Amino acid sequence: MNFNRIAHNLNYVSSVVLFLLGLYTVAIKPNLVKKIMGLNIMETSVFLFMVSIGMVGSGNAPVVTEGVKPATMVNPIPQALILTGIVVAVSTTAVALSLCIKIHEHYGTLNASEILGTGGPF
Amino acid sequence: MDWTLNLLLLMLLLATAISVIRIKDLLAAAVVFSAYSLVMAILWTQLRAPDLALTEAAVGAGVTTVLFIITIYRTVRKED
Amino acid sequence: MRKAIVVLALVGIGVMLIYAVGEMPPMGDSGNPDKVHIAPRYLEHGEEEAGASNVITAVILNYRGYDTMGEVAVIFCALCAVVAILNREKTGLSRTSMDVSGVKASVVVRTTIRFLVPVIIFFAVYIILHGESTPGGGFQGGAIIGASIILFTLAFGLPESTRKLPLRFRIPLESFAVIAFLAAGFTGIVFGVHFLTYLMPGLSEYAAETIRHIMMMVIEIGIGFAGGIIFTSIMFAMIREDQCELQPDSP
Repeated sequence: MNFNRIAHNLNYVSSVVLFLLGLYTVAIKPNLVKKIMGLNIMETSVFLFMVSIGMVGSGNAPVVTEGVKPATMVNPIPQALILTGIVVAVSTTAVALSLCIKIHEHYGTLNASEILGTGGPF
Repeated sequence: MDWTLNLLLLMLLLATAISVIRIKDLLAAAVVFSAYSLVMAILWTQLRAPDLALTEAAVGAGVTTVLFIITIYRTVRKED
Repeated sequence: MRKAIVVLALVGIGVMLIYAVGEMPPMGDSGNPDKVHIAPRYLEHGEEEAGASNVITAVILNYRGYDTMGEVAVIFCALCAVVAILNREKTGLSRTSMDVSGVKASVVVRTTIRFLVPVIIFFAVYIILHGESTPGGGFQGGAIIGASIILFTLAFGLPESTRKLPLRFRIPLESFAVIAFLAAGFTGIVFGVHFLTYLMPGLSEYAAETIRHIMMMVIEIGIGFAGGIIFTSIMFAMIREDQCELQPDSP
């Protein structure tokens, strides 16, 4: 492994760790609202990864102004894609949470194991 | 880009994410999740993405947290 | 047992991903592969090709316009799904159990929010209208509008805010973003070019740029207001409770 490069790419490393934390929550925690929080953490970790790829050290925001050369600006494409991604993330969260409300009305619980009737850690 | 501030923000991000996962009280977890989004918004300004910072501060720390709190208010507050 | 298997699998995935991070080019280097292909063209010619000095707005509205149109349709579909699951509120009749309990927000909170909400909406309108030249645009302003109305609802209760923003006012606005996008797109077809072309052929330079400016403005305002109203409607649908609803007075 190239440890120097890993120590330099700290943003990528932390986005990997955040992704794994979110995946752990989705897989292990029985509560549905907690699972959705884990899903949100996974989404933001991917956003962090993509915007970090477009970074330029000591760069400028991609807004054309006097005296700023285009060569020193950060990459605008990941930022534009992630901007729409954030809004889609909140839409999916809203749909998932309203399903949670309906599930609680029907079953009286938000515990996935109890809803499935298995009793196992799911 | 300030690498020290970047490192500090990344550590805060990991700390808040671990707290969100470990806290058993869902309402407290939702509030910590709002703090997570706010740290993320500061990190976007460090990554030269002011548009993302605006959106994350309004959507992540505002709308998403309120939706979580409404759901917890209408369902259960304690995990498992 | 199950937990051990999951943790083992996650550690395996993590080692592979971290190994891949070690093989990636150093972060923040201006010669990285992502910065040599199309990003320089967007940054150098974005202003004259797309008519927006904020390159992100140029990418969202012009270069990747189809993407954004699909995305606007996605948030509209999300609203449809939430309303299908949880039903609409009734103007002035829907309440939450917080409204039923009769505990009001304190005078300090209500006065502060009454003065603060117009200022926040003013700021959001500024962000929407200046999206072409400064950081901001439709999505950002729409999120701020939604957050301000949520703030108002939390302080004054659901009946008051549904009376301020009744259904007959919100339903036309919710689909406004998709309609604005389609209208701007079909303008190009009317002039005989592709769908969602901004610079019309056969006109003087000044007229073409004016039409482009108007089209971008219409789309930005559409996304902004529709986004804010969609967030508001989702919140109203989620916060209302069936058992707290008032019956309409019989005449």
